[in-house]
Amino acid sequence: MDPQSTIIMGKAIGAGLAMIGAAGGGIGIGLAVGGAVQAMGRNPDHTATIQTNMILGVAFAEAVAIYALVVSLIILFVLN
Amino acid sequence: MNSFWNGKRRFVALFMFLAGVFVALRVPPVIPFIQLPGENFPEGYNVPFTDIRITNTLVAGVIVWVILLLLIAYVARRRPKDGSTVPPGGFYNMFEALFEGLMGFIGGIAGGPHFRIIFNTFMTIFLVVLIANWMELVPGIDTVGFIHPHVKEKYDADTDEYKVVTTDGYEIYQGFLGISYVNGQCDWISPADEAAADEAAQARADAAAISAQQAQIEAAAYDRYQAAHAEHGAEEADDSHGDEAGDDHGSDDHADIAVDSDSIAAAKNEVLDARTAEKQARRDRGCYTGVAPSAWEDGYVEPDKSEKKLIPLHPEPGSEEAKQVPWVVLPFVRVASTDLNMTLTLGIIAFVMIQYVGFKALGIGYLTKFFNFGTLLKSPLGGIDVAVGLLELIGDFAKILSFSFRLLGNIFAGSILLFVMSFLVPILPWPFFILEFFVGVIQALVFGLLTAIFMQLATVSHHHDDDHDHAEAH
Repeated sequence: MDPQSTIIMGKAIGAGLAMIGAAGGGIGIGLAVGGAVQAMGRNPDHTATIQTNMILGVAFAEAVAIYALVVSLIILFVLN
Repeated sequence: MNSFWNGKRRFVALFMFLAGVFVALRVPPVIPFIQLPGENFPEGYNVPFTDIRITNTLVAGVIVWVILLLLIAYVARRRPKDGSTVPPGGFYNMFEALFEGLMGFIGGIAGGPHFRIIFNTFMTIFLVVLIANWMELVPGIDTVGFIHPHVKEKYDADTDEYKVVTTDGYEIYQGFLGISYVNGQCDWISPADEAAADEAAQARADAAAISAQQAQIEAAAYDRYQAAHAEHGAEEADDSHGDEAGDDHGSDDHADIAVDSDSIAAAKNEVLDARTAEKQARRDRGCYTGVAPSAWEDGYVEPDKSEKKLIPLHPEPGSEEAKQVPWVVLPFVRVASTDLNMTLTLGIIAFVMIQYVGFKALGIGYLTKFFNFGTLLKSPLGGIDVAVGLLELIGDFAKILSFSFRLLGNIFAGSILLFVMSFLVPILPWPFFILEFFVGVIQALVFGLLTAIFMQLATVSHHHDDDHDHAEAH
């Protein structure tokens, strides 16, 4: 196999492995939204507050997945 | 909702749809070129009076600040005088509602004595990030720009500098109105071909050296033969016969003849120098070898490099010209939040403001949050507090990274999402624009809100908090 293909293969595998981290973000978002929906079901009056906090929590959980994405983007587009 | 599709609007929508289909079929696609750092403008577009090249994210950053200042000027001008009962107009009203809502929101989180500075920081960061993020939804941003052959920076070891070259080794020239053209005078030589040419030159040089040696030996043998015959005074017929015979195996018989090694080396070097000069001449014309041959993909047509030519901005679709070079767009403006410089700067500003408000609230005692040796003097268990303080210190610096990468990652990923969707199907991407609209708001809110929360936490004394908790527990 020629070196160029090997490099591309390594980058693709590395980027794919880095994106495994997104699974954690997905689980976190699922837990946050699930909890928020339950809370809203029990306390419909506090929907606005719960929703705000839920979106914040989702953004934090998403940020972790985004770090994984940044790593894989760096592998793909910055590494030479 | 129903009335939305009545009247002229549906013709606009129909027109946009048809235009999208037309453009998708008609215009040859350019490569969606994805680059993490902000792209440099071409040669000659420097920040005035400096050597710093303008990047397209810098342009977006300047636009953000201009919009923000205009917004402030407008709102300040429209603000009703105190005691005035004239109701303010539409946009001002919206801004005031937003302002009031956020003020209440932050007041609920950080409504202490430092509310003003916390809210000011929050609102500044919020507006800057919001405007920067929403710029990715504006048509033309990220899509309109210099169109040029797919280039990369190439390090030239001989001159010790970076040069912008296309992927197939051309140097880029900047023409009128940002129309780039490439120097068509060079032949594209692949690295393998280059190495083969080097080897061939080496072989030719060796052959030249051998033949030079051969010629010297033969000449010396001939001289010796002539001298021997002159001594003996032999007849002419024998002379000519013997001459040929001596010639035939002269090199074998006279291997011990001393040769002039300098002239042999000169013969060898002549060939090698010619090869070096050939390479240098190509480099002088702006041609390089050893660049990644991404142009060797399917459908790539070997360019006609017979003359230096101006490649048109919009080559005729399907023509040979359009296929010659992989095109990319270098946008005039790229969303500022997709550049780590911008997000890192905001992160550092947030960090500085957090520390500032902490010192302002607690004075020098704020440092005990990080260097907590007080309890260590009382009991050995205070070592835990020391460790916690050091962790806090590390955590505070980690906030810079977390702030900057969260914003960068979200908006950069959003931009790529929009690119990819737009390159797949012309009309499809509109739901993703709505998604990016909300992502822009949420990220701006999260950035500002986290800054506000951390600032609020910094104003609260740790010891005071502990005492308070204990008092409550008792």
